[in-house]
Amino acid sequence: MPGLDGVTIAIVLLGIGLLGLVLRRDLVMKLLSLGVVDASVILCLIALGARRQGAPPILQPSAAAPYVDPLPQALVLSAIVINFALVALALVFVMLLVERYHTTDPERIEREIAAEEEER
Amino acid sequence: MIARTSLLLLLPIVAAFALTRRRRITAVIGMATFSLLLSGVYLLLYAPDVAVTEAAIGAALVTFIYVLAIRRTGRLVVVGDEAPGLLEREGERIIGLEHAILTGFAKHLGLDLVVHFLPSAEARAVLRRGEADLAAGGIVARHLEEGLRASSGFLETAFFDVAGPGPHGAEAGPPPSPTYFVDVLDAVREGRQLTATFDLARFLALSRLDLSRYRVRRLPGTEQYVFALQESNTELARRLEAFLLDLRASGRLETLRARYIQ
Amino acid sequence: MRRVSSVLAVAAVLLIVGLCAALLLLFGYDGPAAHAGAPYLDRAARDTGAANLVAGIVFDYRFYDTLFEILVFGVAVLGVRFALAQEAPSATAEPIPESRIVRISADLLFGPILLLGAYLILHGHLSPGGGFAGGTVAGTGLLLCAVALGADRVAAFLHEGLLERLEWLILFAILFVALLPTLLGLAPLTGLLPRGVVGRPASAGPVLLLNVLVGAKVFIGAWAVIYAFSRHRGEI
Repeated sequence: MPGLDGVTIAIVLLGIGLLGLVLRRDLVMKLLSLGVVDASVILCLIALGARRQGAPPILQPSAAAPYVDPLPQALVLSAIVINFALVALALVFVMLLVERYHTTDPERIEREIAAEEEER
Repeated sequence: MIARTSLLLLLPIVAAFALTRRRRITAVIGMATFSLLLSGVYLLLYAPDVAVTEAAIGAALVTFIYVLAIRRTGRLVVVGDEAPGLLEREGERIIGLEHAILTGFAKHLGLDLVVHFLPSAEARAVLRRGEADLAAGGIVARHLEEGLRASSGFLETAFFDVAGPGPHGAEAGPPPSPTYFVDVLDAVREGRQLTATFDLARFLALSRLDLSRYRVRRLPGTEQYVFALQESNTELARRLEAFLLDLRASGRLETLRARYIQ
Repeated sequence: MRRVSSVLAVAAVLLIVGLCAALLLLFGYDGPAAHAGAPYLDRAARDTGAANLVAGIVFDYRFYDTLFEILVFGVAVLGVRFALAQEAPSATAEPIPESRIVRISADLLFGPILLLGAYLILHGHLSPGGGFAGGTVAGTGLLLCAVALGADRVAAFLHEGLLERLEWLILFAILFVALLPTLLGLAPLTGLLPRGVVGRPASAGPVLLLNVLVGAKVFIGAWAVIYAFSRHRGEI
């Protein structure tokens, strides 16, 4: 099966990213783990479309090898840029949260918010 | 083919390395390396469009915004646990004697003051790693480990042992893992097992709760509350000493003390 | 308590990963999705006029998706700018004195980086690159300038207000280009410009035009994010 090496590594990366997301207690590290999960999904899509001896899907007069599937690459191209914008937005919210509650520990932030809700 | 396999195998290693770092900046640089490796992998998977985009975005832009988000320039970063009267939260604000001193100091230096609340032991670890400038929150020189230095004291304190509940002579409970002071307050409210030593400010807060089921013992001697800095940060230490000296001489320290500590 | 929840979390993660692996390996390789790209390989060059098949799919066949992705990007950048505008900028500390190496290399590299970005954008339909990659590369060039000179100087040079309006203008231009063909009775979304001969620099009209517009939008968006972050967190 072509691209199997890429798919397995993508699954491993998914595991690493999810573990980091769940186990790290720092909001910034959680965001970085989310970035790893993003990368794993994109890698999986690209790898599924790859061939053993393929050629990039750019039309060339001398077709040396069969072209690789262009569809996953198209799907993923803008996804990478969108991910950057969303990570920037998420980071802004993290910064605002940290500024307000003076800690990056999400459990502590939740407790503070619950305490504020009770006071109201 | 060989290149692709070796790059692919490197990916989880670099990712695991980056996500298990304690210092955030190291993790961010690790992720930049990961992005670059990933871009190479995309190229070898016959996806040059995606490779160029990933290289441009992951290696430069994403790294940059993370670095800016965790950058500390222009700020005076203080870490520590809450200590009632010295450094405590009241709704959205932070109040207390230490906070008043530190605000004045930050203004004197022309920096923003940023306070992060962490359990005391963790706060000192963060200070030693160089991720913060000062540690506060009811610290005493006796507790400081290697690599940290203490400022001069600004307030006297005594120490109190609190243990229990349980029959006298029972085994002391397991040492508590690093916790916030508010967790200790909760533990006492629920009457849970506790063995710890507290300074005066925290003990005063504790004593407002029902301590009848705990054994309380005052330890002999008095100490001074101090701020902790890194051993190597002589410049900041010098300016802090000068500032504290100034506070004492002008009598402002007394006024602040009276306001925050009854 | 924390130990138990950590173990449970790890177990749940491993379960999810195992499930994904099983589904992928069982169904990912022979299902209909596996050969979804085959029709494009034969017809894309003729239909879109673009030698870069991926660009042809993104900006011609599947432009509808790309349209909304551009919108998402724009809204995210707007969110960043808006949320950070609420906070007062950090106390003005001394900007870090940049070494001569950074300044000289910024001088030398800025031009070539912009040129590379322009090349990627303008040749996106012929070779790898495109609007997204080219816009980001150009934005990184500005980032280099900002690191060397200071973000505020670069921002003063670029007239922030003008850039903001330009960004929205570009978005409306993209929407206009997308809607006009439908109104004129041509092929919807991308029927506006001729396809030309495959492989020529002036071919694949819609792809070329949209590459330029998207590249400009991403460039301005990236700079907006960089500037907002650097203003809020201290000098670059």
